[in-house]
Amino acid sequence: MSADMTNQHTPMSFREKSAWISLVLLLVLGGIYFWNFALILARRPAFSDVELFFGVVAALVIAEVVLHMAIAIRSPEEARTPKDEREWLIDLKATRVAFFVLLVSAFASIGTVHLPLRDPHDHTFVMMHGVLFSIVAAEIVKFGTQIALYRRDA
Amino acid sequence: MVIRNTIRRLRFDEDEMTQQELADKVGVTRQTINAIEAGKYSPSLEVAFRIAAAFGVPLEQVFQYDDAQSKTDRPRKV
Repeated sequence: MSADMTNQHTPMSFREKSAWISLVLLLVLGGIYFWNFALILARRPAFSDVELFFGVVAALVIAEVVLHMAIAIRSPEEARTPKDEREWLIDLKATRVAFFVLLVSAFASIGTVHLPLRDPHDHTFVMMHGVLFSIVAAEIVKFGTQIALYRRDA
Repeated sequence: MVIRNTIRRLRFDEDEMTQQELADKVGVTRQTINAIEAGKYSPSLEVAFRIAAAFGVPLEQVFQYDDAQSKTDRPRKV
């Protein structure tokens, strides 16, 4: 048999690259946003929360579009191919894990009302960011699980 | 894995058909063919039939159920 036929290792698929892009962007931009949130609570914010929120969302959308276009140009056939049954199964498994994270983290966000904050008005602000953090954390776990499952099958 | 397959041998017999060519015939990605061939993923019945049809052989010539191993293996979590 030829080397190609016996080779079990496959290069990273388009979907795995896509998951890596989303994971790294969420880690970096989410990290910046929640770092600034911690600074706001310490009354030493680097940016206004509203400005940073819209800035991070805009940067996330632009970076996702540009980077996905870049990997689609490198492998146009793969990018056009719809997900097959194995990829859907990986998606579903990852979403199931992420949902559990979202659920636990969202409930924990409700618990922030009991935090001893200096200003009672901060509770709404903290809970809102708790819910936002839950969404970001769930997405990070989803993409991380997808990558792990893609790697396990590769 | 309790389901064994002969895809690698069948590809070889089919004039060294590549995984990509088989994937195109079956309608799945090359990575999925690679995972099936390596025994890391058990395809649906529909995909299994399509793989057999791509080689023009009966299903049991492509996939075999290893009954002896199934008694020793723990079921894989989905």
